[in-house]
Amino acid sequence: MDFKQLAFYFFAAVLVFAASMVITVRNPVRAALFLVLAFFSAAAVWMQLHAEFLSITLVLVYVGAVMVLFLFVVMMLDINLVRLREGFGEYLPIGGLVAVLLVLEMAIVLGSGPFGIEQMPEPAPLPADYSNTRALGRVLYTQYLYPFEIAALILLVAIVAAIALTMRRRKDSKYQNPGKQIQVQRGDRVRLVKMRAEKKS
Amino acid sequence: MTAAMPNFLPVAPEIFVFSMACVILLVDLFLSDARRGVTYLLTQLTLIGAAVLTVKGMSAAAVMTFNGMFVGDALANVLKLAIYGVTFFGFAYSRDYLRERGMYRGEYFVLGLFGVVGMMVMASASHFLTLYLGLELLSLCVYAMVALQRDSGQSTEAAMKYFVLGAMASGLLLYGMSMLYGMTGSLEISAVRKAIEGLSADNVILVFGLVFVVVGIAFKLGAVPFHMWVPDVYHGAPTAVTVYLGTAPKLAAFALVMRLLVGGLEGLAVSWQSMLIILAILSMAAGNVIAIAQDNIKRMLAYSSISHMGFFLLGIVSVSQNGYSSALFYVVVYAVMSLGAFGMVILLSRAGFEAERLDDFKGLNQRSPWHAFLMLLVMISMAGVPPTFGFYAKLLVIQSVINAGMIWLAIVAVLLAVIGAFYYLRVIKLMYFDDADDKAPLGGPADVRVLMGINALALVLLIPWVGVLMEVCRAAIRALAVA
Amino acid sequence: MIFGLDAKTIYLLIPLSCLAGALLAGLLGWKIGRRASHVVTILGVAVAFGLSAFVVLPDVLAGKTFNGPVYTWAVSGGIPLEVGFLIDPLSALMMVVVTFVSLMVHVYTIGYMHDDPGYQRFFSYIALFTFAMLMLVMSNNFLQLFFGWEAVGVVSYLLIGFWYTRPTAIYANLKAFLVNRVGDFGFLLGIAAVYMYFGTLDYGAVFGIAPQLAAKVVQVLPGVDWNLITLISILLFIGAMGKSAQVPLHVWLPDSMEGPTPISALIHAATMVTAGVFMVARMSPIYELSTTALSVVLVIGAITAFFMGLVGIVQNDIKRVVAYSTLSQLGYMMVALGASAYSVGIFHLMTHAFFKALLFLAAGSVIIGMHHEQDMRNMGGLRRRMPMTWLTAWIGALALIGFPMFAGFFSKDMIIEAVHHSKTPGATFAYLAVLLGVFVTAFYTFRMIFMTFHGKPRMDKETFDHVHESPWVVTLPLVLLAIPSFAIGFLTIEPLLFGNYFGTSIHVSTQHPVMLELAHDFAKGGESSVNRIGVFVAHGFQSLPFLFAMIGLGLAWLLYLRYPEVPGKIQARAKGLYALLLNKYYADEFNEAVFGRGARGLGNLFWRIGDVRLIDGLLVNGSARLVGWASSIVRQIQSGYVYHYAFAMILGLFLLITFFLHG
Repeated sequence: MDFKQLAFYFFAAVLVFAASMVITVRNPVRAALFLVLAFFSAAAVWMQLHAEFLSITLVLVYVGAVMVLFLFVVMMLDINLVRLREGFGEYLPIGGLVAVLLVLEMAIVLGSGPFGIEQMPEPAPLPADYSNTRALGRVLYTQYLYPFEIAALILLVAIVAAIALTMRRRKDSKYQNPGKQIQVQRGDRVRLVKMRAEKKS
Repeated sequence: MTAAMPNFLPVAPEIFVFSMACVILLVDLFLSDARRGVTYLLTQLTLIGAAVLTVKGMSAAAVMTFNGMFVGDALANVLKLAIYGVTFFGFAYSRDYLRERGMYRGEYFVLGLFGVVGMMVMASASHFLTLYLGLELLSLCVYAMVALQRDSGQSTEAAMKYFVLGAMASGLLLYGMSMLYGMTGSLEISAVRKAIEGLSADNVILVFGLVFVVVGIAFKLGAVPFHMWVPDVYHGAPTAVTVYLGTAPKLAAFALVMRLLVGGLEGLAVSWQSMLIILAILSMAAGNVIAIAQDNIKRMLAYSSISHMGFFLLGIVSVSQNGYSSALFYVVVYAVMSLGAFGMVILLSRAGFEAERLDDFKGLNQRSPWHAFLMLLVMISMAGVPPTFGFYAKLLVIQSVINAGMIWLAIVAVLLAVIGAFYYLRVIKLMYFDDADDKAPLGGPADVRVLMGINALALVLLIPWVGVLMEVCRAAIRALAVA
Repeated sequence: MIFGLDAKTIYLLIPLSCLAGALLAGLLGWKIGRRASHVVTILGVAVAFGLSAFVVLPDVLAGKTFNGPVYTWAVSGGIPLEVGFLIDPLSALMMVVVTFVSLMVHVYTIGYMHDDPGYQRFFSYIALFTFAMLMLVMSNNFLQLFFGWEAVGVVSYLLIGFWYTRPTAIYANLKAFLVNRVGDFGFLLGIAAVYMYFGTLDYGAVFGIAPQLAAKVVQVLPGVDWNLITLISILLFIGAMGKSAQVPLHVWLPDSMEGPTPISALIHAATMVTAGVFMVARMSPIYELSTTALSVVLVIGAITAFFMGLVGIVQNDIKRVVAYSTLSQLGYMMVALGASAYSVGIFHLMTHAFFKALLFLAAGSVIIGMHHEQDMRNMGGLRRRMPMTWLTAWIGALALIGFPMFAGFFSKDMIIEAVHHSKTPGATFAYLAVLLGVFVTAFYTFRMIFMTFHGKPRMDKETFDHVHESPWVVTLPLVLLAIPSFAIGFLTIEPLLFGNYFGTSIHVSTQHPVMLELAHDFAKGGESSVNRIGVFVAHGFQSLPFLFAMIGLGLAWLLYLRYPEVPGKIQARAKGLYALLLNKYYADEFNEAVFGRGARGLGNLFWRIGDVRLIDGLLVNGSARLVGWASSIVRQIQSGYVYHYAFAMILGLFLLITFFLHG
């Protein structure tokens, strides 16, 4: 086992551990942090696969932007931790059993046969000036133009949907009219009432 | 490295619908509530325009473009035209419902149109990637539409369930696709097909991947046991959305089945045939049986949809040209019937009142004999009573199953269909033999009444042309075989 | 051809003009009103009659016949299902008779149904009936024959139950339907057998093949050999028995008098009930091959002719008397067919159509005059009040009893002569039956005439004063029918019977030379046709039938005019016989007890065990309960929790993987 393999297994193990922690830890903030860890590990694994661009994007976009946003939200919401975990123990045995069996089956299928590492030919070493980013960009805008555009459309839909679902003009919501604010006169706001300082005695 | 400019012409309908959706999105921003009709009109015009473009662009031979990611063949054209038609009717039925519930805004129509683009992409997909992206596009639109009635807890809950489960199903589908990619080394459907021919049909990885793909498809179809979302979402969604998601997406799901299983993985037919048989029987049994216990018409129709999807899978199960074309026929007929049924539910609803209990159909004949008659047609067609299209569709599917030598399956299907007939007939009984709780005569705008009439009467009056329609379906399926 | 129309178009026009009238009156009757309804239907039938009588008939006489398809409906299993016409002397004659009587009845109906709310409906029905009857007689294949057969049946049921608010009408309606089912079942089996063994349903082809199959034997029940032709003939004849009300399938016809009188005249006297006679005549090439079948026809006809006449004696309802006389006359026609004297049978069919329609319409006229009173015991002396009706009724009655020179004389005498000459087994019995039948016929006919028109009025004075002659739309058809009732006999006997009018449309084998012998006897009368008819008539005055008829007439006079108190005494003495006749030989009771109750018992048995226990209890209710139960159980799975749903999906995935990878 050389270093590369050791690194792979290390990161893979961290990834699996972090992912399972995401769904088991009690505190949602911790879960989010574990997710960050999982993303980091995944990025590391991708890096080993010479997918530098994707790896860096994963860290930048997901860890840097998405997860930070997510943490904000989680921290702002007051989530009832007890209710979230209701019935967890109750369903664990049967759910766990099925999960374990499923994993076992997948392991049997994937571990054997055509996906073993010895089945795959060693990829040819890449030239020194090979740029992962440039290659991705090339295929993305030529060969995969159509799916790329559809993906863009999906993002547009996501924006539209998000706005449609969250932006609301409630009748009872209070808002300010800056124009009116500027034009306001002193007399509109303050009424001077003349009164004597002392009670007439 | 230079890339040739792809041929955009075959994609013109997709581009048109997409652009128009964007235009509508902008136009709607500047419209007051009173002039929201413009949005509606533009939407309907978009669908008509897309139909014109699709018809104009039809060619005998299949056209590939975008490096083999898009295919324009007869199957795609037939499905697209059906999708436009069904959506057109659905939008028309929904208009008043939306207005009465404060949802008459551009978002519904824009999301609906984006969903149509998604379906079109699926219908024309010749690549796992486009197929998947089209599916996601559609799903995302539908998730959002289900949640559109923001103040309704039921809708939000339905949307949430749909979203979570849908995401899971997408993950499973994607996982299956990645397995297939691992084995065949390609995502292009025709290349996958070729690669599979070189492999053995009981290759473990292929079958493993296939199971995931089938599960993903089954979820989209709402086949048992991946159907759980269907009743909750149909019920929870505003009826205007239900009419959308209960009709056209079924056609898209058919495209998914055809492109993936038949187009790409026909070499594995031995395996998916038995998987689909299991799904089909479970769906027909559970769908028909549970529907009987429902007192909510939307839930009842949801279970009916599950059973219909099971029935439609029978056509695929026969693994023959004939079977596929009867399945296509079935799915189109189902979309039309479902459209009529949900349209009637919408028609019965008023501001502040959802006509979703079965009891709301009581004495419909006293309130409006014409609408009761139309609903009668839809119901007997769904039950598969001659001389309706529903009957022919069932007949053709059963025929293909018998031709495939699975007589036992045909018998099971017929028996379950007979059980299913019960709850359709119950609706008829309620309409004709019970007294109405609410004697108010039925209104509805004139155009909706006309469309509703066309919708329901088509199920009977087009019978003389059943041969022509069947021939269209055959031609569509033949195109797939050639490609 | 006229108006530049070719033959096919004219043939098509004949039934279709009736159909058009029926559709207009039926579908648009509520809109176009009563007057327009009768105008369009009468116009339609008039066109049909005009074309039949003045275009088709002369053509046929000139030897222009037609046989071929006019419209191919579908080809099923190599057999073309088509609308085809066979226009030959036989069908041309039938077309003229049917359209003429129908036209008369249409006109008559204007008066008879004047105050009925179902006026348009009635016109629509009778025009529709005419269409169906024409399709039946013009057909050139069994399929269309069957279509017409059933179609006239349907209209007949509709018309019997025309006054559908009367329970008796509904009962009669149902009875006609059920009894005809029995006949039609045989008929259908017969057609099926024809198709099975001949491989075609076209008349011409079947008749061509028939002689080759004359000796073919089939085993329907194992071990019993049946001659194919006999089997087919008898099966077809069962159909004819149903439609032409032969014993024992006659029970529906008297009850059918519940319908309005015009249809009794049109359907249950002149046309539809003679369809059986027409069919047997049409199938003469088949019947001629089987003496057994002919013998069956002969004997059944003879039984009907005599015994049904007897029942007529004790009836008091004026229409029922005519109805039983119809049964009896239909029996005569069958006897003629059984004696291989097909042309005589058809001849009698024709004369009977005129005089029986006349009698029915006259009876109807009386009924109108009496304000829908049908019981003859409440009539009498109407002669002075309704002279026109009285006169025409007399002509009809004389024709019916076969008084020389009247139409019925020629046909009935010829039947009796034919049976006399016949060597078919059962001919002696039949001869006796038809001979005695003459006496019976004369007796009940004049009993009816005397009770209705002569003697003292047996109603109160006020009613009698209100009786008046019917309007011209009623009397005109009576007069128009009275003319052929008198004259059609001597005008057509020569060409029809001996002049080779029928040509090849009726086939008589050389083994049954009845017609030749009749022709031989007839020819003895002299050289010219007038001479021969004169001799025949003169001979008629000295013949046995005339004697019998006169005895019958005289007896009727004695009992019902001279000594009207006697019948009551006879009735008291011969209680048993009277009751037997009054109850129509207890045929209804027998049917009720044996078939009705038997079938009901059997049905009950099946219902109890099969339906209630097995199907309702176990299958329907049981399965419904099972499904309901299962439904409520399975419903529980739909808990509404998203993790349950997700888990179900994963479980499904897991099971599928396990099954397909390791199973």
